[in-house]
Amino acid sequence: MTLHVAPAELDLEPAPLLSVAGVGRFYGERIGCADVSFDLWPGEVLGIVGESGSGKSTLLRCLAGIDRPDEGEVLFRGGAEPLDIYSVSEQERRRLMRTAWGIVHQNPRDGLRMDVTAGGNVGERLMDRGDRHYGQIRERALDWLQRVEIAGARIDDRPRQFSGGMQQRLQIARVLVSEPRLVFMDEPTGGLDVSVQARLLDLLRVLVRDLGLAAIIVTHDLAVARLLTDRLMVMKDGRVVEQGLTDQVLDDPHHAYTQLLTSAVLSV
Amino acid sequence: MTTMIQVENVAKTFTLHNQGGARLPVFDNVNFSVEAGEALVLAGASGAGKSSLLRILYGNYRPTAGSIRITHAGRPVDIVSAVPRTVLDIRRRTLGFVSQFLRVIPRVSTLDIVRDPLLARGAAPEIATEKAKVMLARLNLPERLWNLAPATFSGGEQQRVNIARSFVDPSAVMLIDEPTASLDAANRDVVVELIAEARAAGSAIVGIFHDEAVRERVATRYLDITAFRKAA
Ligand SMILES: Nc1ncnc2c1ncn2[C@@H]1O[C@H](COP(=O)(O)OP(=O)(O)OP(=O)(O)O)[C@@H](O)[C@H]1O
Ligand SMILES: Nc1ncnc2c1ncn2[C@@H]1O[C@H](COP(=O)(O)OP(=O)(O)OP(=O)(O)O)[C@@H](O)[C@H]1O
Ligand SMILES: [Mg+2]
Ligand SMILES: [Mg+2]
Repeated sequence: MTLHVAPAELDLEPAPLLSVAGVGRFYGERIGCADVSFDLWPGEVLGIVGESGSGKSTLLRCLAGIDRPDEGEVLFRGGAEPLDIYSVSEQERRRLMRTAWGIVHQNPRDGLRMDVTAGGNVGERLMDRGDRHYGQIRERALDWLQRVEIAGARIDDRPRQFSGGMQQRLQIARVLVSEPRLVFMDEPTGGLDVSVQARLLDLLRVLVRDLGLAAIIVTHDLAVARLLTDRLMVMKDGRVVEQGLTDQVLDDPHHAYTQLLTSAVLSV
Repeated sequence: MTTMIQVENVAKTFTLHNQGGARLPVFDNVNFSVEAGEALVLAGASGAGKSSLLRILYGNYRPTAGSIRITHAGRPVDIVSAVPRTVLDIRRRTLGFVSQFLRVIPRVSTLDIVRDPLLARGAAPEIATEKAKVMLARLNLPERLWNLAPATFSGGEQQRVNIARSFVDPSAVMLIDEPTASLDAANRDVVVELIAEARAAGSAIVGIFHDEAVRERVATRYLDITAFRKAA
């Protein structure tokens, strides 16, 4: 699969997958995030960067259907009709989260069932989706373990027997096996040492490209953003201060805060 | 003749917010166009803004004013005002950038780096691999390096990987910033040939070359950008 676009499609753009308008979330007096609007198109990878406490995780939770925003709306276009994810029932939203979306948590413990085998963790998502053939589920689980570079022989081990990097790769397999259209990731490589990070990043880069996924990735690491994302949103104090093509924002930052952020690192 | 690049009234001023808001005007009122099959060489002293202009043409730096129409999929598209996914589509299909340095992606082999642009444009994997090998051989990169990731390569080896990647499937518009800086004479000659071949095949080229001999062999026309220096 390639992302080759026929000339006619330049005029005939598909609709955005996710449309975010005026999203805000407040914790009492404190702003979690405010005034966030953007469109995400199929196959696009958006990065959210900013210092600690700038509202990245708060925003991601609002977008992913985990926390209801106090203001604004999030429209998801999975089928023909756009769906306001907070106006549908809780049940409908959960179904969407299980089938069309994937969420990769920073801490793999939040995304894995620690008492279920590796194969079970991956297979469970397929069963949620309605797959029933045990042999096929196990075969696909095995295939996905190998894609995230976990030896097939470990299929019946439980995640607690895995290293942190392996747990994170298992979580990614669990999320991607059901072929979501849109994936949310909060610091997917945080808490891992640098060599493990590099391997995971390369894996993510290849998977995102091969599957044509749309993804929103929160990171405080500009090198990660450079490697994985097409577009970048820079947050400060809960607000988006600058956004654009990733290399534009990193190489020719316009906002004072982005200039500070990019000058603080040696080379990204 | 087909106009591939049309630059109108482009200006660039950097504002350095963390240095007291200092403003650094680079150029103003830049106007020129480049046709298919031409090689325009940018001239001007160090710091005149040659690299900045090239980056603006690529949609990497954002100009303070002006428009840049790139002929993409048969029609002019302004890369300055285009949304990110359009810029990426222009780069994937029409616009190539050859920089002095390779941006190394961890764990990706040299061969994969070089065949990647062909795959992204829909070529069959075997054909892409074959063309990549031919290109690496032409640039005299030892075969034992092809399956390694270039992270540990010398500067000149990395540069040749970068050039191979850029010329394995020359784009309709190629922007080239000092590609020969750390190459020996033999490899420099190969680069000059590759540029000539791309041009003969119809590519429009805009380049910066410090080496005067290279510059003279490549250029069909010069543009001295000192002429656009912003009046203080
Ligand atoms: N549940 C909560 N109750 C009260 N305040 C909260 C809550 N969650 C977040 N906040 C506050 O909202 C702001 C944004 O927090 P958020 O977790 O979104 O930041 P972040 O950008 O993800 O930071 P980090 O990079 O450290 O993860 C912070 O000031 C934080 O203290
Ligand atoms: N991202 C940036 N932020 C701030 N200033 C910049 C940036 N990029 C370039 N400049 C400044 O713009 C001016 C032009 O630089 P540029 O690199 O375009 O010159 P050049 O003509 O390519 O020089 P050389 O021949 O030395 O490569 C310089 O003063 C440079 O410091
Ligand atoms: Mg956070
Ligand atoms: Mg330069």
